[in-house]
Formats: sequence, structure tokens, C-alpha cells
Amino acid sequence: MNKKFLSAVSAVLMLVSGMANAAEPNGEAALKFVRDVTTEGIEQIINANVSQAEKDKRFAKLFNEALDLDFIGQFVLGRNWRTATPEQRKEFISVYRQLNISTWSKRFDEFKGKNFVFHGTSPSNSKGQIFVNSTVPMDQGEPAKVVWRVREKGGKMKIVDIIIENVSLAITARNEYTAFIKNNPGGVDALIANLKTKI
Amino acid sequence: MVKSVLKLPMVLLASVCIVSCASTSQKVTTTADEHEQEDSLESFNRSMFEFNYQFDKYVLKPLAEGYRAITNQFIRDRVRGVFSNLREPLSAGNYILQAEPTASAKSLSRFVINSTLGLAGMFDVAEGWGLPKDRTGFNETFAKWCVPQGPFIVLPFLGPSTPRSAVGLAFEFVFDPVFWTTYHDANIHDKIAYSYAAAQAITLRESGLELLDDLERNSVDFYATMRSAYLQNQSKLRCFRDSEKEENTYDFDFGIEEEDAAFDEMETE
Repeated sequence: MNKKFLSAVSAVLMLVSGMANAAEPNGEAALKFVRDVTTEGIEQIINANVSQAEKDKRFAKLFNEALDLDFIGQFVLGRNWRTATPEQRKEFISVYRQLNISTWSKRFDEFKGKNFVFHGTSPSNSKGQIFVNSTVPMDQGEPAKVVWRVREKGGKMKIVDIIIENVSLAITARNEYTAFIKNNPGGVDALIANLKTKI
Repeated sequence: MVKSVLKLPMVLLASVCIVSCASTSQKVTTTADEHEQEDSLESFNRSMFEFNYQFDKYVLKPLAEGYRAITNQFIRDRVRGVFSNLREPLSAGNYILQAEPTASAKSLSRFVINSTLGLAGMFDVAEGWGLPKDRTGFNETFAKWCVPQGPFIVLPFLGPSTPRSAVGLAFEFVFDPVFWTTYHDANIHDKIAYSYAAAQAITLRESGLELLDDLERNSVDFYATMRSAYLQNQSKLRCFRDSEKEENTYDFDFGIEEEDAAFDEMETE
């Protein structure tokens, strides 16, 4: 799985999506997109025999390419996005992006030796979006359910939410940030400052 | 002693429920703003959450870390297996109440196989025979019967819950084999029941050490994070009447069309 292959895949995806008239992402294409992302993550990052610094670099790149963090960041700020100034928006997205990369780079290691098993797609009520269903076998007990929300825009697919055991990461972050801003006179600026301490 | 301890949460729940059960609805939310959950007991919950946090910090977490220090993964897996095996009859019974006879038979078979060949549950022999673990409880049963979950409530020591889930827990405590097999002898009963509960709490906490540390470190409002995750996870439980036609609870309205344009503008600046 190299760069060439990825660009070939995205070229094919663009073609496919163009033909499908962009009403709803093509299920097979969306599934393939998510499968490629997870396979690349597991093979090229977790199982790769390279330094941690190189792993972090590769992870940041994959994360930025596969996830639409502008879109997610805007969503998680909820109604506070509307009242935020352009500078606040920019800074929030930037800090949210960095925080997610560092958090998930660490969390991702726990998938060592594991593989996603895909189970087709489910439609979404939101335009141009689709859910890709998967499970991860656990060391103990039942496999964990992981659902990927994929959004297509301008012929490109991006992951906009990951739902683990029915818990949406986007909603959890949105609830958390909304609660923080509500209880904090510093508002969005205080949130940005707090998130910066966690990177 | 045990009886009075049992009564306490029931009374507490009843009084809490009188205040707020009437106003709760169970409809499935579809827009993201509706997802900002109702929390009518928020100030009580936050205090209780803080109490639990301190208890965890100074008592439960150190115990869990100590348990990890003196055991290895192999031993911990065996211990967890024994506890998990003791819970199988409860799952089997609840699957009957949920009109799932096949799942019930599976749990029961697992119990018989793992209790004997699996050496009291230390080894999951049944899983290798095509009977994977699949647990359920009273909360799941009540949900299936369309009992509303009620408001979010943080219970002392037990953490995030709802009245429905708390009543389920109390039932599970009473129906636990360790509870009723020692019930005839009041002398040893309390000792066994408390040690058993403590041992379960410690093993459970040990398995969650990394996860909870991770969540806390990355969270700006730990209480809000726990509440959100708990309630979302609960919302996967469906009532039998609408299990077919309901949409997934996580399929909230993720269209922010009108703001998209504004954002793209900002990006190109």
C-alpha cells in the first residue's frame, strides 16, 4: 500500500462517485475506502518496523487525509461555532486537529495484532453520507462494534465520525465542549486554552 | 444488614424518580442539538461524581493498581473468567425474560461447560466450541419491555446510571448465585457478599485503568464526557415494539450546509 496506490484508489473513487451522481456515496466504494484506511494504518504504522517518530509522522498524515477534521471540528463546537470569531474558529480547528492526532496515535497502538472485520454499509439520513459497519475481535468476550461515518464531498470521501459501541465520538466531544463553554466565563477562548494544555 | 443496605438505594431511587421520572421521554433523538442530553439532576450528579472520583483516586484505583502489581495477565484472565462464569445463569434467565430462548440456552450451556471442563470458568472452553460469550442483564430486559430509563443519575460508588439500570443492578445483586447460596447463614453471608463485591470492583477497575486515564486526560469536562458516553451507549437498547423501524441513534443530522460555505470562505482567506 503505497502513495501511488492510494492516489489510484482516490482517482477510481472520484470516477465512481461522479457516476453515482453524488446523491449518496456508493456503498462498496465507501467500504473499500474505510478498509484501505484501516489496512494502511495497521500495516504501515502499527506493525511497521520503524521508529516512533516515523510512526507519528505517518499517522498524522493518514489521519489528516482520511478524516475531515474541519467538518468535525465545526460540528463539535455546536452552536458556539456560530458565535465564534474567524480567529477563534481557525485556532480551535488547529488545536482540535493536533489533540486528536496525538490522542489517537497513542490509542491506535492498542489495535496491534487486531483486524477490522467489515459487514457492509447502512444508509444515513444526512445527505451524501453513509455508515460503514465493522467489528474488532477483542481479547475477551464479544467483538466491539465500530461504525464509520463517511461523507462524500466534491468526489472525495472522508471519515466524519467513528462510533464505538453506539458511542459517537463527534457527539461526545460536542456534548463535552458545550458543557465546558456553558460553565466557563472564558467561553471558546478558555476551551482553546484548556485543549492546548493537553496536546 | 444486607437487607437494609439493599433497601437504601431503592428508597433513594424512588424519591429521585418521583421528582423527575414524570418529565422524561424516551424518544430517539435525531438532531445533534437534541443530543445535548437532559440532565435534571445535574448539580446532584456532579457532586456525586466528584465524591466517586475522590473515592476512586484514594481507594479503588490504588487497589486496582496493587492488584495489577501482584498478578500477571494470565492470572487476571483466570479471575475474570470465574466472575464472568458466575454471571452466566443471570444472562440465561434474562434471555428467557426477553423471549430469546436460543441465546438463553447458549448461556446455560456455556455455564455448564465452563464450570466443569473450564475449571469453574477459568478457561472459556465453550467459546472454542462455537458458543461465544454474550451477556445480558435486567437493565436490557427492562429496556426490551419498554420501561423508560429515566433521568441520568450518578450513584454513590457505582457511578453513571439511570433509575432503570440501578433497579436492574439491585435485582442482579439479589439473583447472583453468591448471594442466594449463602443466604441461609447470616454469619458468613455478609462477609462473602462484601468480599465478592469488592473483588469484582477491583478486577473491573483494573481492566479499565488505561481507558479511564486516557479519557480523563483528554477531557475538558470529565463528567460531561462520561454522561454523554454512558447515555449514548444505553440508547442502543431497544424496546421490542420499535426495534425494527427505529433508525440508529447515532445517525444525527450531520448536515451543516449553510455554515459550510462560511467555513470554506474562511479557509481560502
